[in-house]
Amino acid sequence: MTQALRTLPATRAKDTRPKLRIFEFKSDIPASWRLTLGVAVWVLFFAIWQIAAWSGVMPAILLPGPGKVLTALYTLFTEQGFLGDVLISVWRVMFSFALACAVAVPLGILMGAFKSVEAFFSPFVSAWRYLPAPSFIPLLLMWFGAGDAQKLALLFIGVIWFLITLIADHTKAVPKDLINTSVTLGGSRWQVLRTVVVPAALPNIVIAMRQMLAVSWTYLVIAEITAADAGIGAMMMRAKRFLHVDQIMAGILVIGLLGLIFDYLLRALHRRAFQYLDEYS
Amino acid sequence: MQSSTILSVQNVCKTFPTRGGGVEALRDVSFSVARNELCVLLGPSGCGKSTLLNIVAGLHTPTSGTLSLEGRPIHGPARERGMVFQSYTSFPWLTVLENVEYGMKLNGIPKAERRERALHYIDLVHLTKFRDAYPKTLSGGMKQRVAIARTLANAPEILLMDEPYGALDAETRWHMQEMLLDIMRTTQTTILLVTHDIQEAIFLADRIVFLSAHPGRLKTILELDFKKGKEIRSKEDLVELEGYPECEREIMHLMRNEAKQEEDA
Repeated sequence: MTQALRTLPATRAKDTRPKLRIFEFKSDIPASWRLTLGVAVWVLFFAIWQIAAWSGVMPAILLPGPGKVLTALYTLFTEQGFLGDVLISVWRVMFSFALACAVAVPLGILMGAFKSVEAFFSPFVSAWRYLPAPSFIPLLLMWFGAGDAQKLALLFIGVIWFLITLIADHTKAVPKDLINTSVTLGGSRWQVLRTVVVPAALPNIVIAMRQMLAVSWTYLVIAEITAADAGIGAMMMRAKRFLHVDQIMAGILVIGLLGLIFDYLLRALHRRAFQYLDEYS
Repeated sequence: MQSSTILSVQNVCKTFPTRGGGVEALRDVSFSVARNELCVLLGPSGCGKSTLLNIVAGLHTPTSGTLSLEGRPIHGPARERGMVFQSYTSFPWLTVLENVEYGMKLNGIPKAERRERALHYIDLVHLTKFRDAYPKTLSGGMKQRVAIARTLANAPEILLMDEPYGALDAETRWHMQEMLLDIMRTTQTTILLVTHDIQEAIFLADRIVFLSAHPGRLKTILELDFKKGKEIRSKEDLVELEGYPECEREIMHLMRNEAKQEEDA
C-alpha cells in the first residue's frame, strides 16, 4: 500500500451528532416539532384573545371570548338555519368560479401558446386587471339588483382577469424543447396543443385556480355585506344590527374554515392527479 | 457515394434579425450525409452547429440555401427528421412505454403495432424493466434513452441529435455513446449529431463536418480513415487504435486555431 493511499484506522468518535437547535437556517425540523409549533400558535392566539376578553379593555359585548363565539356558532347552526346561508355562499363561489374557469382556462392557454392571441387580448386583460372589482358594485347593483346575479358577476370579474394572466404565464413556461419534440415527431399544431402544451401546463393551472379560489372567497364576503339577502355575509350584517358580535366572529370563523377546507381539497386533488411530478416522490 | 446521399445541405446561410441589422450565424455551408452514416457536426462554441441542426430539423428556416432529404426539399419539421435534444424531453406525465408510443400515436399507427414497436425499441435501449415507470424515477441517462427509443420507434429517415449527452456525467456519457454505436449496428439508421466534445466526435463519427465560428462556415470535412473496417465497441478500443492520437491532435489544433483567430479578431 502506498503512502498516498494510506487508510486511517477507524477511531471511535465521540458522539458528534449535531445538536438540534431551534434556529437553524433552512434545515428541516422533526415532524413532532412541526406539529407542536403549529398547535402552539393557535393556543397562544386563543389564550391572548381570552385574556383580552377577561381584562375588560373593551366592553364584553364588543369583544366576546372564544367560548362565547363557539356557542354562538352552535346556536347559529341549530336554531337559526345558518347552514342554508353557508350553502348559498358556497354555491355562489363555486358557480361563479366555474364560469370564470370555463372562460379563463381555454383563453389563457391560447394566449400562452400563440403570440397572436396574446397580442389581441393582453392589452384588454391587463387593463381590466387594474380596475378594482368592488368599484363595479354600484353598477352591478343597478343592472342586476341585489340578487344572485349581482354577486356572481362581482365574483366573476374579481377573479377572471388574474386567472387568465396566470394561466397564460404558466402556458408560456412550457419548455420549448417539449413542444419541438412533438413537432419533430410529426405532431400537428392541434396535436401539440392537446398532447403537450395542455398536460405540461395543467399542474400549474390547478395551482393558479387554488390561489384564485381564495381571492374569490374575499369577494364573496364583500358582495354579501354590501347587498345581502342570504349568505354568510348577510348573516353577519344582520348580526351587526343586533350587536351580536359573537355571531359576526362566528361568521368570520366559518369563512376561514371553508377557505381552509377548499384549499386542502384542491391540494389533495393536485397530489392525486399529478403524482408523476417530481415534488410528489 | 453520391447515390447513397440521403441529406443534402447546399449553400445554407442564416442571419438572425436584430435591431442593429442582424447576426450572421451561418455562411454558405454545404455538406451531405450518406445513408447509414453517423455524421458529426463539430466546432467551437458559436460556430452555429446547433442552428444548422435546427434548420435541418425544420425548426428554423435558412435565410438562403436549399436542403433536401431523399431529394425532397425540406420545409418545416416532419416525422422523417426525428430529433433528440440536449435537455430531457421525456413527457413527465407519460410512462416510458407511453413516451415511446407517443410519436407513433400522433401518426396514427394502430395500437397493436405501436405496442410491439415500442417494446422492441425499449428493449434496444435496455429499459424493459422500466417500461411502466414515470420519468421522474429515471436518471438523466435513462431519460435520454427514452428519447432515443421514442424517436427511433417513430421510424425517421434520419436521426438528429443536438448534444444529446451534454448534460450527462462522464461515465454515463461513455455508456450512452457505446450504446448508440450498438444501435447503429443493429438498426439501419442515419444520424446527424452535434457535439463540441472531440473524443465523442471521433468515437462516434464516420465523418466529421468541422465548422469555424463567427459566422459559422464549413472549415473542413474529416474522413476518419483510421477507423475504417475496425471493430470499435468501447472507448478502450478507440484509444488503443493506431492513428487515434494523431487524429485527436489534428482536431485539437483545428479547435485551437479557431479559438486563436477569435482572440486575434
